[in-house]
Amino acid sequence: MVTSFPIVEERWYVVLVGRRLAGAGAVVALVAVMAPWVTGVAQAQDAKVLRAGVTQDLDSLNPFITVTRIGTELTRLNYEFLTTYDPKDYHPVPGLAEKWETSPDKLTWTFTIRSGAKWSDGQPITAQDPAFTFSKMMSDTAAATANGNFTQGWESVSAPDDRTLVIRTKQPRSTMLALDVPIVPKHVWEKVTDFKAEPPLPLVGSGPFIVQDYKASQFIKLKANKDYWRGAPKIDGLDFVYYKNVDAEVQALVKGDIDVMNRLVPAQYDTLKKDPNIKLNTGAGRRLNEILINPGATSADGRPIGDGNPALKDPQLRRAIALAIDSRTLVDKVWGGYAAQAAGYIPPGFSEFHLPERTRFDPAEANRMLDAAGYAKGADGVRADKQGKPLRLRLLGHAGTNLDEQASKYLTNWWRDIGIAVEPQMVSDQKVNDATTGAAFDLAFSGWNANPDPDYVLSLQTCGARPNADGKGATPDSFLCDPEYDRLYTEQLQETDRGKRVEIVKKMQQVLADRATLVILGYDNPLEAYRADRWAPFQTQPADGGVILNQQGYWGLYSATPGRTTDAAAPAAAGGSGGGNTGLIIGLVVAGVVVVGGVVLLVGRSRRRGAADERE
Amino acid sequence: MTSPAWARRRDAAGRAWREFAANRGGLVGLVVLAVFVLVAALGPVLIDDADLDVTRATGDRLRSPSGEFWLGTDENGRSVLALTLWGTQLSLVVGLAAALLSVVIGTTVGILAGHFGGWLSAVLLRFTDFFLIMPSLVLAIALSAVLDGGAGTIILAIGVVSWPASARLVRAQTLAVEARPYIERSRALGGGHGHVIFKHVLPSVLPLVFVNTTLAVGTAIVAESTLRFLGLGDTNEITWGGLLRSAGSSGAITYGAWWYLLPPGIAIVLLVLAFTLVGRALETVLNPKLRERR
Amino acid sequence: MTDSLAPVEESIAEVPPPSRGGGVVRYLLAKVGGAVMSVLMVVVLGFFLFRVMPGDPVSIMTRGRPVSGAQLEALRAQHGFDKPLLVQFWNYLVGLVHGDFGQSYAFNAPAGVIIGERLGPTLLLTGTATVLAAALGLWLGAKTGWHRNGPLDRGSSGVALVFWSIPPWWLGVVLLMIAGGVFPTGGMQSPDSPAAFFPHALDVAHHMVLPVFTLVLALYGQYQLVMRASLLEEMNSDYLTTARAKGLRDDLVRRRHALPNALLPTATLVFLHLGMVVSGAITVEAVYSWPGLGQLTAEALASKDLPLLQGIFIVLVIAVVVMNLFADLLLRVLDPRVRAS
Repeated sequence: MVTSFPIVEERWYVVLVGRRLAGAGAVVALVAVMAPWVTGVAQAQDAKVLRAGVTQDLDSLNPFITVTRIGTELTRLNYEFLTTYDPKDYHPVPGLAEKWETSPDKLTWTFTIRSGAKWSDGQPITAQDPAFTFSKMMSDTAAATANGNFTQGWESVSAPDDRTLVIRTKQPRSTMLALDVPIVPKHVWEKVTDFKAEPPLPLVGSGPFIVQDYKASQFIKLKANKDYWRGAPKIDGLDFVYYKNVDAEVQALVKGDIDVMNRLVPAQYDTLKKDPNIKLNTGAGRRLNEILINPGATSADGRPIGDGNPALKDPQLRRAIALAIDSRTLVDKVWGGYAAQAAGYIPPGFSEFHLPERTRFDPAEANRMLDAAGYAKGADGVRADKQGKPLRLRLLGHAGTNLDEQASKYLTNWWRDIGIAVEPQMVSDQKVNDATTGAAFDLAFSGWNANPDPDYVLSLQTCGARPNADGKGATPDSFLCDPEYDRLYTEQLQETDRGKRVEIVKKMQQVLADRATLVILGYDNPLEAYRADRWAPFQTQPADGGVILNQQGYWGLYSATPGRTTDAAAPAAAGGSGGGNTGLIIGLVVAGVVVVGGVVLLVGRSRRRGAADERE
Repeated sequence: MTSPAWARRRDAAGRAWREFAANRGGLVGLVVLAVFVLVAALGPVLIDDADLDVTRATGDRLRSPSGEFWLGTDENGRSVLALTLWGTQLSLVVGLAAALLSVVIGTTVGILAGHFGGWLSAVLLRFTDFFLIMPSLVLAIALSAVLDGGAGTIILAIGVVSWPASARLVRAQTLAVEARPYIERSRALGGGHGHVIFKHVLPSVLPLVFVNTTLAVGTAIVAESTLRFLGLGDTNEITWGGLLRSAGSSGAITYGAWWYLLPPGIAIVLLVLAFTLVGRALETVLNPKLRERR
Repeated sequence: MTDSLAPVEESIAEVPPPSRGGGVVRYLLAKVGGAVMSVLMVVVLGFFLFRVMPGDPVSIMTRGRPVSGAQLEALRAQHGFDKPLLVQFWNYLVGLVHGDFGQSYAFNAPAGVIIGERLGPTLLLTGTATVLAAALGLWLGAKTGWHRNGPLDRGSSGVALVFWSIPPWWLGVVLLMIAGGVFPTGGMQSPDSPAAFFPHALDVAHHMVLPVFTLVLALYGQYQLVMRASLLEEMNSDYLTTARAKGLRDDLVRRRHALPNALLPTATLVFLHLGMVVSGAITVEAVYSWPGLGQLTAEALASKDLPLLQGIFIVLVIAVVVMNLFADLLLRVLDPRVRAS
């Protein structure tokens, strides 16, 4: 055995355990004491920077590539579009184009580009810029990645002079004032050879804020564009700060590390009601939540795909399934009241196109319909289909999504009442996605964020949205393929009179309700909050019951004004439930003392006993 | 009954029990375990199905503890106490099954590698070392995403990623056992591989395996709750990890709903602690040298 | 899993087998050879495992966006999904040989670059936590071992057991709830973090308080228990009795003889764990929005970003392999018993 050690090792040990621990402890203590003071100073220095919380990762800063929500929001802030949506009611208003006209055959659109507007590098904005952007998207597949669908069906794009942009389409298109395409500066992008590549920072843009710096999963920094044609923003900058944990984000808001956030859940929203420094904002939902009913799905070439229950081909059965859903209960119980009851396919947030007729809940009528259609109830209360097999259906939902997990339990009960046995299956988002694209489902949860222009969500229910035989190559939704619906879809796409188009879109929603390949569950309200002690009220979109973040435009963030939002409501009024931190701390201390004390006692005792044994 | 072999075994068992009982920590761990097992077994009797059904929930959303709901309610108005008690069953079963699976794989690989030598041993060792360095959480997440289903998937994912440690342990023990003279004698008398493995090696590694399993259950329970917390497995199943995930996603942290966040977590800690205490006490029985270290 | 946090006390008994006649170089070569082989196996497994996972990367990429069938096909071709699996595998291998992990589609950048960006924050977090946890664990372990059955031993060994039993992410959530009002709740730095070194370091340190505290609590208990156990083992050794018999002071016996010897297995364990701690920190990074490898893994899994997943897998395994080698070396250099054989 070794009896002595070189001095080196002793010193190593002493240093490691002795001094380093003391040093580390000192550093930690110093940090804990000093840091709040330092950050406090930092915040005071740039009071004119708005900080927004964000959870979703940015896929790309390249406006031709980015498809994420946050990426889209950044392109809206960074690049002015040809036209944008009014903050009050979403109707198309001038952007880069100050006016526009269509030829009598509705195939030629002439946009007049405003003069005097500048890119953030000082170069003038001309009609050459949109012409370059659109032509690139039509000729380069990489440039068409994110927004290629907008230039589909176009004949040509040209800029006869610096203020005139001419677009010719193959058929009349009603969506020409809803071109959500970021217009990029030609003088910067014409040198680019790879349209997939990330652009260098800072970006060169035309919107109210320009991206300066980006650290993945940490922050995105934007600077106010002082030369913005609508006028410089009232703040100097805008930071998006990443939080992967929404509760951590709420705490950051309460503490003042961020100024505004969205995507609150009801419990968080209710908690913030008690905070006098926080102003809450909610509005009409812009997302539709639905149950898909597989109507015997077919692929784009008309062949059956997937494994949906064949009984669901009967529209009467599908209508009965729809009638048994009580949207009101879902709104109250699952969404905690922060949602609107089911009506038309287009969400109420876009009230112009929304069909306000509520869906009916009538289980008695559903039972009568099924009896009349010959679905006889068996001894176990489950009806038999036309082949005599019991009606057992699968309900596919997203694991981890509150709506799917909870609503599935209510739905199962309601459907049991009309004699249909449903088994919920909650699986990963990816699996739901695979199954719904390949029609491998009977019933499935789905949902879409709608746009001011309803074209895209409407197109999801057309024959053209069906995938190829492998269940790929398209984004299908309910696999409806209905001649009347498709005829109306083409009509609305070509109808340039807005009032007439609205009528067609409403009729399409009635057709959808009648075919019952999908049932609307409800529309959840966006829940947002901001610091009322630092900011004046923001411009919401729409003006009445709209949102601040994630708009179809830049109005909310552009309107940011340092100041104060005064609220008549007494802050303490909302109290009631919620134990607060006192309860938590008491609970923790008690639990901690019990557990630790118990273990200490045990370990200690047994050891004493062990020691006694040793002595024997 | 009175054959000498029986008497000897009974004596040995009695001695082992006395040694175990001398360890107060192990004893109390055992009692705590017994309570959890009882709760798990009686869960269906104690708790009405209606308490777990969101559609028949009677409470308000996230209500703090009261006379009606001793541990408050969750985001659906269900009793957190009922949910936590009910969660015991699945958490316990999954933890046990996953640990068992892991130890069975590990023991098989370990004995084979220790007993047969040569290329088989080399391959098995390589394989074990390979699994030992894998980022097991990533692997388990990927596995539970690939396989369908609930508890079974979780058990499989944990079992498949956590066996290498016990394989190494069992292999070392197998080598030690096989080096003893009586194995050589048994071989000389014509005992085949099966005879040596089942009659001699297995009985002498079993106690070690048993202790190992007990300690592995704690790890498996934490692993199970971690996977559930990340949203894997069937989210309709009620387990402690799943409850904590729901608490996290329903804003309970912001709400200050400690009655929702603490009970499932404390239950996990208690159960893991109980298994660890029992495991450590068993280790002492097995290896008296350890006694003074504990 | 949580094996980064499991009390693998057996491993302290496992001394690397002495090389038979070869010497250090040969021993090292064998070790490195095994490590390289493991990494190669991981390359193969990573490629196929993540492809079997459900989900079509292209439809995940474009979910909720107006895209046409032609666009989807173009995306598929661009990422090479239209080619046979073996061709994809071959292309991947060729890329790897050239140091190219492929293009991440969730971040539209080379996967290698993104992983590199996240490596720093992860090393900072886990490194700091490991140093603090090791220091705390070794110190407490030495103290409790020496004063066995004293009040400190009884108390702190029990506490160590309790902390070892707590799932780290739950600890993180509870700490977030209690202390979230005082310390930053997410990220590594403020967006307007000062550029000067010292204030910037202070800002980062401020953000590190909660995640480091969580990890230290989760890790230290095991080090303490192992240190205590190995010290007790050392104290029963003959040489200590000899040393005492020589008339050395108690304190000197402890400092010069027992502690250094007991420290060896524990220090080795710390290094063995360091590789695992990186992947073990996934959940803690998620709770505190720490921009590290763990969180990147979670994001890559959610978006089924195959190049990123494969790259992370390889990097995590290399971390473990390198740390294992390092632990071996450390033991050989520091422990004359191993060196001599």
